[in-house]
Amino acid sequence: MPDRRSVLAWGAAAAAAPALTACGESAGAARLTRQTKRKRGQKVNLVFWTWVPLQKTVALWNRTHPDIHVDLQIVPGATNGGYQKMHASLKAGSPPDLAQIEYHTLPEFMLVNGLTNLSEHGADKLKDEYVDWQWKQCVFGGRLHAIPQASGPMANFYRKDLFERWDVEVPRTWDEFRKAAIKIKKRGGGSRITAFPPTNAMWYASFPWQRGARWIRTEGDTWIVDFNSKLSLEVADFWDGLLQDELITVQPDLQSGWYRSAQTGHFASWLGAQWGDALLRGNAPDTKGDWRVAPLPQWEEGQNASANWGGSCTAILQGSRHPEEALEFAHWLNTDSKSIDLLVAAGYGWPGARIDLEKSALGKRDPFFGNQRYNEVFEESDGQIDTSWKWAPTNTQSFDHIKDAFGRAAAGRGTLVDALNDVQGRVLDDLAAKGLKARSA
Amino acid sequence: MSATTTSESLTPRAPAPVRAAAPTPQRGPRPGRILLIASLAIAACYFLLPVYWLIIAATKTTAKVYGSSGLWFDSPQLLHNLGQVLTYDDGIYLHWVLNSLLYAGVGGLLATLLAAAAGFALAKYRFRGREAAFKAVLAGVLLPHTALALPLYLLFNKMGLTNTYWAILIPSLVSPFGVYLCRIFAESAVDDTLLEAARVDGAHEGRIFFGLVLRIMSPALVTVFLFQFVGIWNNYFLPLVMLSDDRKYPITLGLTTWQAAQDRLPELVQYTIGGAFLSVIPLAVAMLVLQRYWRTGLTEGSVKG
Repeated sequence: MPDRRSVLAWGAAAAAAPALTACGESAGAARLTRQTKRKRGQKVNLVFWTWVPLQKTVALWNRTHPDIHVDLQIVPGATNGGYQKMHASLKAGSPPDLAQIEYHTLPEFMLVNGLTNLSEHGADKLKDEYVDWQWKQCVFGGRLHAIPQASGPMANFYRKDLFERWDVEVPRTWDEFRKAAIKIKKRGGGSRITAFPPTNAMWYASFPWQRGARWIRTEGDTWIVDFNSKLSLEVADFWDGLLQDELITVQPDLQSGWYRSAQTGHFASWLGAQWGDALLRGNAPDTKGDWRVAPLPQWEEGQNASANWGGSCTAILQGSRHPEEALEFAHWLNTDSKSIDLLVAAGYGWPGARIDLEKSALGKRDPFFGNQRYNEVFEESDGQIDTSWKWAPTNTQSFDHIKDAFGRAAAGRGTLVDALNDVQGRVLDDLAAKGLKARSA
Repeated sequence: MSATTTSESLTPRAPAPVRAAAPTPQRGPRPGRILLIASLAIAACYFLLPVYWLIIAATKTTAKVYGSSGLWFDSPQLLHNLGQVLTYDDGIYLHWVLNSLLYAGVGGLLATLLAAAAGFALAKYRFRGREAAFKAVLAGVLLPHTALALPLYLLFNKMGLTNTYWAILIPSLVSPFGVYLCRIFAESAVDDTLLEAARVDGAHEGRIFFGLVLRIMSPALVTVFLFQFVGIWNNYFLPLVMLSDDRKYPITLGLTTWQAAQDRLPELVQYTIGGAFLSVIPLAVAMLVLQRYWRTGLTEGSVKG
């Protein structure tokens, strides 16, 4: 079983191999033999599952690459059953060749041996064309298992008009953020500096990420769980303070009430990801010209640490008969400049490829942001994202635990610090339940 | 929908017993009756409010959906919205509508026919294992469809039927609840002497079933058809695991793909709402057209039973 071993050699999952076989969860490995080399002039058909509307991009590929036809199949989004569907297809042995997978879900696919080792197909030489930290999100055990597509570097979307009206400086540090929050509470007539969404664990994770905390690490074959490290709790304590003094509102984000708040100025700023630009533009069109983008507040003045929220990659699932052609397509999709411009138009987020912002569609001034070249802020942010952040192979459950515990804290029962202490134990249990070695830091 | 049908079918009948029980001069309606109507009205509101919201929201732009009161119009543009729904991505929505109609219509009809035959046989023929078969069907009523979807997928995958129309149609042909209802109905509504008479006249069993029994059972069949139609129309999980080509999706699944992309393309919020609005129309029409049969049917059964 050399293949399986090398695939699982990353981090701790090697220890899980026997456990995985026992529960029949290992997908794909047996079907590696099905791979076939394309003969000259032979036409290859690739199936691609995604929820991002990539119709135009794929049409462009099919026009320019008559030998490799990509059949784009739009499947329901990640949490609406998209991943469930991918896992089912892996289990049944008939997965699509390519699939859209979010960075934080990749380890779960690694755990069921669902991803093709792309280093074997010569992908390592492409490294320099991609943003470093995004590339590393796709590397397990030193081998690349997916092609980075997009991410969500964080920054501060703020209402310039409101900050000026209430005579509040845009905060550069978290300390200033709190002071600004106090001023806005006093002067804002019911508005707050921002809204805290207790339901969004992925959003929250970007703050300990920025602080330099690491929720998950690996050491040999052991998972080190560290949700309640000193740095992580420092961040939680900061938000606890804002919540307790009612300096921020509590509101689930990216849904109707939140969009209304974005329209009415109920919150004056949003610590959001680059792909949030389209959301503000489309859902609060009447605030055109009022928004600007500033870097995330820092823990220490003069720093410029950043973090990420969201993002996904193009994975080649285990069992694809044509991994080399699939790799060729995935690389084109995520680096070709025409393709990137179409992806940007489809609102897919910040590119995984290194781009020249000046020449890209992203480099334009935008009247919605008062003609600011706002993506310069995100370019800067993307370059400052710590590359060592990892996700657990039981991350879906981790997020659920955080959601539950934060929900209780936001309702006034306990604090975020308590919540993370609680989550720590649950994540250890989840990993143990998968037969993985895990311990607290 | 169900709230309206019950309230409409109850109100005309309710007065009769009230008057019979109280022949003395009336001073307005009795408190019990007021309570009944009030609670039905509340129930009707409860069920109709979301539909009302949907109608209102379908006329708005994405920004207005969030930015204005959900209960009243704000610069309505229904036709423009629906035009967008029908033309987005080469009119894929129309594919979804046709697929839903195919799955629910054909699936519902064939399931009804099968249920009628099985129910009738279980009610009127004596054979070994009859009760065991019926109990097995009853157990099927208790099994949630969702639990069966994944095993079915693995099975269909072996047969190479996933991502085909058959993958939805074949599982839709089975309606344990329909068999159950048809058996109960056939027992009370189909008279044994009638069957004897038909046999004496020389009609063979097939002719008796298609020519006679189906007609007598038609009220129950309408019920089974409606249940099955609505069930297939609203089914999400089975098409989710079975289908991957979005041209084969039913409306439920298709709209979810739009919803998933809302984070990227906010105008899809409006298309999803418009699509949901259009998708309830066939169901409403089916209910309104068929409820006449349904109502008479259910009462008939209850009187004779």
